[in-house]
Amino acid sequence: MTKWDKYLIFFIILSSIIGLSIVKSDISKSDYKYIRITVNGKVIKKITFGKNMIGKTIDIRTKYGYNKIEIGEGKVRVIDADCPDKLDVKQGWISKPGEIIVCLPNKLTIEIVGEKKANDKIDDVSY
Amino acid sequence: MNNIKKLIFLSLLVALGLALSILESLIPLPFIVPGAKLGLANIVVLSTLIVFGYKEALIVAILRSITFSLATGSVTSLFYSLTGSLLSLVAMYFVYRFLSKMFSVIGVSIIGAVFHNIGQISVASIMMENIKIFSYLPVMNLVSLFTGYFVGLSTFYTTKHLKKIFNL
Repeated sequence: MTKWDKYLIFFIILSSIIGLSIVKSDISKSDYKYIRITVNGKVIKKITFGKNMIGKTIDIRTKYGYNKIEIGEGKVRVIDADCPDKLDVKQGWISKPGEIIVCLPNKLTIEIVGEKKANDKIDDVSY
Repeated sequence: MNNIKKLIFLSLLVALGLALSILESLIPLPFIVPGAKLGLANIVVLSTLIVFGYKEALIVAILRSITFSLATGSVTSLFYSLTGSLLSLVAMYFVYRFLSKMFSVIGVSIIGAVFHNIGQISVASIMMENIKIFSYLPVMNLVSLFTGYFVGLSTFYTTKHLKKIFNL
């Protein structure tokens, strides 16, 4: 290991931490959240969280494959899939806006999207 | 070294890379990040780059990706692994060729791992048409530090003996 290796490792740790904090700060800005399910770049479903949705399962069948998602209290996960490695199932629950479950073989992404507070939007346009 | 000997040795390296890729897909990693792998095949590619050279490493990297997708039977994974390994090979080549006074094999391997991540995540975000997949990148890079260090150390000891055998 040369000293440049150590600089490189330090730089990667630093940039990762900065990247993570940017992702985090993007999350904390939002207030209201919903689930957005995308297949091959097209939004096929938007689901808002609610009491009646807790414990519900939804089948997603497309020409790319089959996934089954379960909705909990403000969180969502994939419980069944026909992709070979089942990484999306292993990932477990996601709950914060900006978090995302991806199933590459089925071209499926499940995102939690946060909407900003209405007040923030007004602040942005008023000078 | 004559041509036929080199050809046989390169095909052995491809087979070794394929075996390592299949082996590492059987090892479950105790990481939270989905899709994080050890990158054992990078030992073979990096060793080829150091012992033989750029052209040979390119051949080994491409053949390994193709044979791996044939062995596992998934065509979509071919794009991911091919883009990732080609981008990481180009990055490793430039660092090894021009900056080898600054970085040791470990540094080269870490840079390769980081560029492998960048390539794969770019392909994923293009295919899924979703830029948010890049939020995986910082976590993946942190994991890459450990796997890249391990791969670099293994390559260092492997090439030390390989160079002795072939008197290069």
